[in-house]
Amino acid sequence: MDVLLSEYAPILIFLALAIGLGLVLILAAVVIAVRNPDPEKVSAYECGFNAFDDARMKFDVRFYLVSILFIIFDLEVAFLFPWAVAFPEGSMVAFWSMMIFLGVLTVGFAYEWKKGALEWE
Amino acid sequence: METILLFAPLVGAILCGFGWRVLGEQAAQATATGLLFLSCLLSWIVFLSFDGELRVIDLFTWIASGSLDTSWQIRIDRLTAVMLIVITTVSALVHLYSFGYMAHDDNFREGESYRPRFFAYLSFFTFAMLMLVTADNLLQLFFGWEGVGVASYLLIGFYYRKPSAGAAAMKAFIVNRVGDFGFLLGIFAMFWMLDSINFDVILAAGPELADMTFPFLGWEVNAANAIGVMLFIGAMGKSAQLFLHTWLPDAMEGPTPVSALIHAATMVTAGVFLVCRMSPILEYAPFAGNMVIIIGAATAFFAATVGLVQNDIKRVIAYSTCSQLGYMFVAAGVGVYSVAMFHLFTHAFFKAMLFLGAGSVIHAMHHEQDMRNYGGLRKKIPLTFWAMMIGTLAITGVGIPLTHIGFAGFLSKDAVIESAFAFGGGLGAYAFWALVIAAMFTSFYSWRLMFLTFYGEPRGSKHTHEHAHESPWTMLAPLGVLALGAAFSGMIWYNSFFGHTDQVARFFGVEYAEAGEHSEEAAGEETAAAGESHGEETAVAEDSHGEDAAAAGEGEHAAGEAGHGEGHYVFTSPPGEGAIHAGPDNDVMNAAHEVPSWVKVAPFLAMLAGFIVSFLFYIVNPALPKAWAEAFRPGYQFLLNKWYFDEIYDAIFVRPARAIGRFFWKQGDGAVIDGGINGLALGIVPFFTKQLVRLQSGYIFTYAFMMVIGIVVLVTWFALRG
Amino acid sequence: MISTDLSIIAPEILLAVFAMAGLVGAVYSGRDALSQLLTWAAALLFVAAALYIGLTGEGTHTAFGGIFVDDAFSRFAKVAVLLSAAAVLIISQDYLSRSDLLRFEYPILVTLAVIGMMVMVSAGDLMTLYMGLELQSLALYVVAALRRDNARSTEAGLKYFVLGALSSGLLLYGASLTYGYAGTTEFAGIIEAAGADASIGLIFGLVFLCAGFAFKVSAAPFHMWTPDVYEGSPTPVTALFATAPKVAAMALFARVVHDAFGGVVGDWQQILAFLAVVSMFLGAIAAIGQRDIKRLMAYSSISHMGYALMGLSAGTAQGVESMLVYMAIYVVMNIGTFAFILSMSRDGRHVTEIDALNGFATKEPLKALAILCLMFSLAGVPPLLGFFGKYAVLLAAVDAGLGWLAVAGVVASVIGAFYYLRIVYYMYFGEETEGLDGRMTTLPWLGLVASAVIMLVGIVNLFGIEGLAEAAAATLVR
Repeated sequence: MDVLLSEYAPILIFLALAIGLGLVLILAAVVIAVRNPDPEKVSAYECGFNAFDDARMKFDVRFYLVSILFIIFDLEVAFLFPWAVAFPEGSMVAFWSMMIFLGVLTVGFAYEWKKGALEWE
Repeated sequence: METILLFAPLVGAILCGFGWRVLGEQAAQATATGLLFLSCLLSWIVFLSFDGELRVIDLFTWIASGSLDTSWQIRIDRLTAVMLIVITTVSALVHLYSFGYMAHDDNFREGESYRPRFFAYLSFFTFAMLMLVTADNLLQLFFGWEGVGVASYLLIGFYYRKPSAGAAAMKAFIVNRVGDFGFLLGIFAMFWMLDSINFDVILAAGPELADMTFPFLGWEVNAANAIGVMLFIGAMGKSAQLFLHTWLPDAMEGPTPVSALIHAATMVTAGVFLVCRMSPILEYAPFAGNMVIIIGAATAFFAATVGLVQNDIKRVIAYSTCSQLGYMFVAAGVGVYSVAMFHLFTHAFFKAMLFLGAGSVIHAMHHEQDMRNYGGLRKKIPLTFWAMMIGTLAITGVGIPLTHIGFAGFLSKDAVIESAFAFGGGLGAYAFWALVIAAMFTSFYSWRLMFLTFYGEPRGSKHTHEHAHESPWTMLAPLGVLALGAAFSGMIWYNSFFGHTDQVARFFGVEYAEAGEHSEEAAGEETAAAGESHGEETAVAEDSHGEDAAAAGEGEHAAGEAGHGEGHYVFTSPPGEGAIHAGPDNDVMNAAHEVPSWVKVAPFLAMLAGFIVSFLFYIVNPALPKAWAEAFRPGYQFLLNKWYFDEIYDAIFVRPARAIGRFFWKQGDGAVIDGGINGLALGIVPFFTKQLVRLQSGYIFTYAFMMVIGIVVLVTWFALRG
Repeated sequence: MISTDLSIIAPEILLAVFAMAGLVGAVYSGRDALSQLLTWAAALLFVAAALYIGLTGEGTHTAFGGIFVDDAFSRFAKVAVLLSAAAVLIISQDYLSRSDLLRFEYPILVTLAVIGMMVMVSAGDLMTLYMGLELQSLALYVVAALRRDNARSTEAGLKYFVLGALSSGLLLYGASLTYGYAGTTEFAGIIEAAGADASIGLIFGLVFLCAGFAFKVSAAPFHMWTPDVYEGSPTPVTALFATAPKVAAMALFARVVHDAFGGVVGDWQQILAFLAVVSMFLGAIAAIGQRDIKRLMAYSSISHMGYALMGLSAGTAQGVESMLVYMAIYVVMNIGTFAFILSMSRDGRHVTEIDALNGFATKEPLKALAILCLMFSLAGVPPLLGFFGKYAVLLAAVDAGLGWLAVAGVVASVIGAFYYLRIVYYMYFGEETEGLDGRMTTLPWLGLVASAVIMLVGIVNLFGIEGLAEAAAATLVR
């Protein structure tokens, strides 16, 4: 019995830590945070969202589009880093593979540009 | 030649049945009839030129599977030869007769073509019957057996617009199925025991079978007896013996030529033929043999009693047929197979003639069949009258007592009765008396038929009577030919079928030898005397040995031991050789010749008694029958209703079977199966459909949840399984 | 070295280049002027690729260190995928232009999806597998929502995307479990690591992988997306969903269970048998309640996938062969049926209610006859081809000792026959209401009649497809 229970001890500790940490962080924000509102701070963002509002709200799909497009190129960079680091040992195949990858991305970019996906209006 | 003989009717049936549109009706009928006459001619050639040697003609292999190996074969021996002439002769004549009889028929509409169909059926029947009698194995025999059953079914139901004809056809078929089932079991048992159904093997195996047993429901059953009984059950069905006889009177719904051919002369005798064919086995199955005697005698008696009071002319003859078939079985049962065949042979002639004569009467009277509406037709249709008269003389057994001169029935029937007496014992006595009384009844109802039809005042519709006319020559010619047969066939072939044992043995191609401790000289004497003088010899023998024979008759068939002056021969062929078989200790035939005179005279006296009573009832005082019927009302009703067999069967078999059928139909099929399927199709499946459709809510979380459930089920399964 | 690798994937490269070039070319030439041309070009390219692969391919080759396999099995699947995609493009082109849906992106997306399928069926590694699968899926998510201004179409696309993401998650989880326990993502390595008695972790990986595949083939209980997506998507897209991706996913399924888990047939046999039984019955029973022919075809395809899985679950070469034959027949039947559905319209509006078929036989006897053939074939009525497909999988199941599964299949097919026959009943005995008045253009008509004729004529020797399927199965099951 004890053995069995002791096997679950890490879970218990884990649970306690998780709850404790969560509480600490939330309460810390309440306690420590400096509240110094001024008109600029509480006014709506440039994108039109209110600074303090319900998170579950409608927003313009264009934000979504831009963020999606951003992520693609973000990830591209994430690919490029290891490739660049290993570049000296890489072969021609490695080089051209990346070039093709970039080329495909470029094709996509050209398409969305021409389609007008980058224009706000 | 035999092949042509066998297949000519089939060709005729096909040409006539399918080709009549091309050939034309008349030509098609003529083709079928012509081919049948050809077949008939060849049959007579085969019969007359037959030397007693067995011939087997191989046509082609039918089934070769495992140890089962059967071929289509033509087996020609004396039994077959006799059957061949009976079948083809009667069939050819019936074909001819049908030209006239079927010329006009109110059962069919104007312009409807039914005649080629009729002839095709007749020819097909003939083919199947020939197939049956020429079979060299049980399978081919069964093929013919079923073939004639089908033909009989088709022809009984020929007037398909009449509900009663359809019912009769079904009844015939279904009752026959009972018998056929026994026959099939017999075949199966035979194959089980002997691993063969070919005659050359099984006929030789009679003694072996007698020593074999097989377990059945915990009993060890003697193989020979069991097979004998099962085969006889098959024969009972086909030959309308007691308990399976009910279909035969109803079969009279068919056209009269059919009744003559199938239900009098040929098909119904197939059972007798089967028993004779199986004589090597039946000889070693005493129990089965006794059963044959008991049933045969009972049928002869029963059918004769019922025949006494029937009013439909064809039914009277039908019961008469039933009764005569009983005679044949008795002869076969007591072991004198040649006599069974003898009676079969003569009966075919006179019974076919009676039927055709009746058909002629019916034809003349515009399809009136009730005898009470006949009367005084002697002058109107004289040729038919004389033909019927010869037939009646033959069936009642008119002849000169103690001689061998007489009509066919006289000789063959007396032979049966003497054989039954000679068999001895309680069973012999029972059979003897049953047959003698049946003979008296036979005489009564036959004469009653004659008197009611041809004598007295016309009783029926005046119009019909005035327009009664003699039939055309196509109908009269067959009557004439058959009249010859009815008159003389008995006398001509007496010695061959029921002469001295050696004559019979020669006729049937059986080896023979002297029985027991006969003296050389006696044998020589007898051999010399064999021949035409034989008749007198027997008569002499009777005179001198009357007392002894009577004693012998009462006791055992001890004729051999008694050591009579003249030679006694017995069959000595091993089983399977020769057309019929009788064991070396089977001495009934010899004994039958030596029965006391009173036994020989008894059937004649019975016949006379029947005639006199009939004469009194229907000529001297026509009011008597009615008075008697009133006086003995219960008895009369009992007979009129055929011993209530139909009613009893209706209560015991038909109704319960229908009730069970209805139960399975309504409850089993309707409620359980249909209900189950419907419940599944209309209840359960739609229920699930509804549930599944509801599950398809359109919400992604439901869908995702389902996927998760699927994963959980699979993971759980594998986790639990380890 | 690299050039051999490239030559092995030449058809895929060709299609990819075409897709890129088409995309850039069309977008810069302006508007949708090129869309008609691109559709035809894509279709022709598919056919050409199919011919190239079918006629020149032989033997077994691997590329890129074993992560890409070119063998008889993949070739069989690729040819089936390419031809069915080409057929769908051809029969749907008319409908698309009529309903103003023929944008040039459509053929490009279909091409990309097809490339994904081709990669899938050639996968020799979990990575390749996932890459192909996602390429296919992403392209299909988009085409499902092709009719952007239609709520149902976008809903279909979104549902497909979300649930597809979930299934991809399951698949990836399975792949990572497998990698964790096998130490490699290559099929050849996995089968070695699994041996004849896999560890429970590997089995769990297998379970999750199977769940992911089951989603792609829309086998119950991972089928939930199918009816909604089928109904909501534009009909040509539905036709596409019902054909090429199914073949590809089924082939992928077969490839993974045999190439990577061929040693533990007993384990995945249970999964597949479960999926098969549930799919067959669910497809048959739920379809009865459908009034919309596209939804009905969705359930029909669920049920058919059940039968194909039954063949696969036999775990034998015979099973794979029967599955391939079944899929080939299934695809032909569906192309014919959708060719007809595409033409169903009244007053210029596309209708998909089954009721609209009432009395169709009196108006269009020939077409009705063709539908009758197809419906009977779908139901598996002998002597049509559909029967032989079912017979093959039943036989495979029985021979593999899964008699109970075969019996269940027969029962389900009896239930399923109901809704196919109901369509026939409506056409021939239904009361004539305001029926369909749309005319069928030549190409869909050809598709319909040809597939109906194939159902009838194919029974002679199944066009020799059995031999090919047998060869394909032989390379997979060693």
